[in-house]
Amino acid sequence: MKLNTDFMIKTFLAALKGIPVTLEITVVTLLLSAPIAFFMALKRLHKKGIGSRITAGYVSFVRGTPIVLQILFLYSLLPSLLNYLLNRVLELDFDVFGVPPILYAFAVFGLNTTAVLSEVFRSALLTVGHGQMEAAISVGLSRRQAYLRIIIPQAMVSALPNICNTTVNLLKSTSLAFMMTVKDIMAIAKVQAAYGYNYIEAYLVVLLIYILLCTLVQLLFKAVERYLSSYKKLVTC
Amino acid sequence: MRPFHPEFIFTALRQILPYLWVTIATMAGTVFFGSLAGILLARAKIRRGPVLRALSEIYIYVTRCIPSIVMLFIVYYGLPEFMLAFGIDINNFSKAFFVIVTFSILFAANMAEVFRAAYESIDPGQREAALSAGLSEWQAFYRIILPQCIVVALPNFTNALVNLMKEGSLSYTIGMLDVMGKGQLMIGINHGSYSLEVYLALSLIYWAMTLVIEHGFGTLEKHLSKGRKIVAAS
Repeated sequence: MKLNTDFMIKTFLAALKGIPVTLEITVVTLLLSAPIAFFMALKRLHKKGIGSRITAGYVSFVRGTPIVLQILFLYSLLPSLLNYLLNRVLELDFDVFGVPPILYAFAVFGLNTTAVLSEVFRSALLTVGHGQMEAAISVGLSRRQAYLRIIIPQAMVSALPNICNTTVNLLKSTSLAFMMTVKDIMAIAKVQAAYGYNYIEAYLVVLLIYILLCTLVQLLFKAVERYLSSYKKLVTC
Repeated sequence: MRPFHPEFIFTALRQILPYLWVTIATMAGTVFFGSLAGILLARAKIRRGPVLRALSEIYIYVTRCIPSIVMLFIVYYGLPEFMLAFGIDINNFSKAFFVIVTFSILFAANMAEVFRAAYESIDPGQREAALSAGLSEWQAFYRIILPQCIVVALPNFTNALVNLMKEGSLSYTIGMLDVMGKGQLMIGINHGSYSLEVYLALSLIYWAMTLVIEHGFGTLEKHLSKGRKIVAAS
């Protein structure tokens, strides 16, 4: 077996153009999901009535089905649903099929990551002792202040490794975005490979890029973790 | 809005469910080979010399960074070429073979971490006590360490199994006819007109399987750790 190295270098350079797309999906998804996930985690911790039930069901469903199925389902549902709502019900003249596919990617990965992150936040909030909240309220902070200044900073430290895991998993699952015709690393490599049936070389290049990206993400989180835990030590002494 | 026929979900369920055994069989194969490789990796990481340990750590790190679909394509397109270099033609092998190879490679890394964490959670004093009571090294492992390891490893194993099942749905991309593949085939036969119904049916199947796995192993864990408490108390 001989690998076509010229092709690999060419594909590598071409696939580099897909990195911003992959990172964009990852970052935007995280930014969209984190606030919603946080409120879902709070809802579930307070166990107040139907809201907590619905959230639990949603989380269970998303975590119980493959992401590829979620992509296929939403990608076949959303465009026609949007078309129906905007053009038939609201009677706007909106070109649904001109919507950039990356928006669908945000929607699908957002829905998925929200569920995962809400579990991460829930377990992180549980690690902060009950006394912290009571102490904060007894010194005259409002609940909102207590969360922002006392609870969240402590919960963040214990949540960080799990958030890192979630980010790496999200990064890996963005390789499925090509199913929604998003031009990410995987899609570019697939197109390059199809020219001359150089599938193995193309996917080896993709593999290399993903390893590099994962390493980058993990180093980033290590740095943040070091920063946060040094801050924590300063507070304790 | 395209027409939606809820009753077709049941038709889809009836037609897809017979293929559940394909999914379960490939999962079983993957768990078997993946766990074997995982045990070897975990052993290398715990005991052996620095070279084996470094190799095992690199393997685990790299495989955890690879998206399943990339690995699946590399194995599906690459392995036949690679074997051909040794004069072995595996182009006609069943798709299931490539699926099991791919996911065993990935599952082994997860299992290695699960086994290692479980092994290290057991106090070394347990082994020493067993040896001093006259058990051989193998007996100490088999009768004292292993039963305690299994309880610790179960929740992580369950997680890995559910992930394996979900990632396994990707095998339809190389034309494997499992639950997901049959669903895609149904959509293809109907020219895409029942896609929502079929996807809903598939979601229900996967969701149910996840719940069954989690519940089953949860019960098993409760059952096994009951024995542990009695031992600890006496």
